[in-house]
Amino acid sequence: MTSSNFKNNSNKRTRWFTNITLLRESQITKIHYITGISALFVVAIHILMRLIMPFNMSLEFENVILNYKNIFYALLLESILVLIAIHGFNGLRVILLEIRQTLIWERAVNILVIVAMIGIIAYGTRTIIIANGFSVG
Amino acid sequence: MLLWRGNIDMTSTTSAAKRIDDNNKNDRTNRAGIRGWLNPIIYGWERVSYWFQRLTGIFLLVYFIGHVYETSSLVSGPDAWAAMLELTQTIGGHLFLILVIGASTFHTINGIRLIFTQSGQGLGKPGRPDYPYDPTSVNNKQRSGLWIAFILAAVAMLYGANVLFSGE
Repeated sequence: MTSSNFKNNSNKRTRWFTNITLLRESQITKIHYITGISALFVVAIHILMRLIMPFNMSLEFENVILNYKNIFYALLLESILVLIAIHGFNGLRVILLEIRQTLIWERAVNILVIVAMIGIIAYGTRTIIIANGFSVG
Repeated sequence: MLLWRGNIDMTSTTSAAKRIDDNNKNDRTNRAGIRGWLNPIIYGWERVSYWFQRLTGIFLLVYFIGHVYETSSLVSGPDAWAAMLELTQTIGGHLFLILVIGASTFHTINGIRLIFTQSGQGLGKPGRPDYPYDPTSVNNKQRSGLWIAFILAAVAMLYGANVLFSGE
């Protein structure tokens, strides 16, 4: 690889919608790894919360609502939601960009994953907020 | 670029061009194309790992979206929650959750292996390409990482099956 090629590649950034450059692919990959590793820890806590009592009992409505009313657990659920949404939809983006490499396809995939990511985070956050304010019994 | 095999009679430009075209057609028939790329057998366990990582990733993303939708039934009250929960309280539902456990375990362990690999760990030292041209990057460290991912996924699935089917 020549130095000019290297310079061109190092300046190559993901162009999300138009010609505005937001992040380099190397930065997105690092975000992918960080969200993946972080999700591992928070999901482990989420699963352990289901196993501290008999599994079926832990899924009873009152128990689940009590979990949501705990502000720390609610924040944990929100972090799971955000981390997995970013990791999952970026993973989908990578797979779709491996299939085809045209500018239109790349832009369409980028828009699709960002909209889906925002949509799922908004929908999950709505559940957490409403369940957090739910009154039991 | 044109590629051909065999001897070509250059005395006639037309016949030579025709033979090149025929040879190119034959070459195309020999190419595996996207089917070869998809084939998990001929490229070894590394290709199996590649496919499993992507398939489990897509499967887990679908589950994640379904799980967010499923838990949203909480806001509609206890009856809606119980109705939604009944879907997972069947044998089919349990088997699906066991698959989720296996997929998430494999995706996690293999993902950690890939992070190490892409940061240059466990790839071996680069060397002169000698016959039979085995790449140093496809070594026992990589393969054992892959096998650990498969074994831990199986163990997690067994544990999950025990919890789900015993109800404890």
